[in-house]
Amino acid sequence: MISAGNDIISLSAIDITRTNQQKFYSKILSPEEKEIYNQPGFTSVPFENFVWLLWSIKEAAYKYLKRHNPGVAFIPVKFVVTELHVPNDYSLTSFGGKQTEGTGFVNMPVFKGIIKVGDDTIYSNSLIYRELIFSTVNGDDDFENINWGIKIIDRVDAEYQSAVVRAFLIDRLQRFFNVDGIVIDKNTGGIPFVLKGGAEFGVVVSLSHHEEFVGYSFRSQS
Amino acid sequence: MTRTEVLDELKKVFAPYTTNKEMLASINDDTDLIRDLKINSANLVDIIIDAEAKYDIEIDYDSADKIINVGTCIDVIMEKLTQEK
Repeated sequence: MISAGNDIISLSAIDITRTNQQKFYSKILSPEEKEIYNQPGFTSVPFENFVWLLWSIKEAAYKYLKRHNPGVAFIPVKFVVTELHVPNDYSLTSFGGKQTEGTGFVNMPVFKGIIKVGDDTIYSNSLIYRELIFSTVNGDDDFENINWGIKIIDRVDAEYQSAVVRAFLIDRLQRFFNVDGIVIDKNTGGIPFVLKGGAEFGVVVSLSHHEEFVGYSFRSQS
Repeated sequence: MTRTEVLDELKKVFAPYTTNKEMLASINDDTDLIRDLKINSANLVDIIIDAEAKYDIEIDYDSADKIINVGTCIDVIMEKLTQEK
């Protein structure tokens, strides 16, 4: 399955007290997933970050599946994170700068996960900074062809977020493929697609925004 | 509780999570929570928990899945209110 999915969470926007309440996190985590938090590597990860890390992985997986199955429902506990690995020598650092872009996550402190949704298996790579959580997913565990970007914006209204994240992705796509005239649109199901000259450009993309952060991912090869 | 009464109360539940106050004032059954009210998906759990507290109900996973627009949100709350009786 060729698709794309990403999600971004602004950690300044989450309600830490509420996130740590069982009635809240139990709507996101299954009991088995909560057990993952007891693995040794997670001692350096606050529980609220763990909850929102899993949310972002599940939301990214939902976007990934929805492109091919518009009827898929986002019931977080049915997107089961079966494995999640903390990067070696992990410590929380600041995002720094205004934006960052990359291809793959080589030499980055990435949390690697596996998600099962029915018969589908999806792989995740996530970054956690003091300010944000960013997750991308893929159909296999090779993220070499996954291109991504994260940007801080200065307004949080939805129209602005939408405009900026599209412009951010268009700029990267045009540089990456050395073309111009790229347009991003969405279908009635909210799935983004790329057009050039009115025709589908043939690249699957994913957009995300939350408060002062926007993000994108796309796959550069089939 | 009538649908109109639930709708009026729901506006208070949605209010902290939408910046589209103009749309909030005129919501109807077809208003989409994410597309129209611009509610971020990260706030959907907040809305479910706030609705549970306001109506003293429990919204299970399968019911939460049905909540797409204002109409389905009212449907779920009305159904749970009926079950609580």
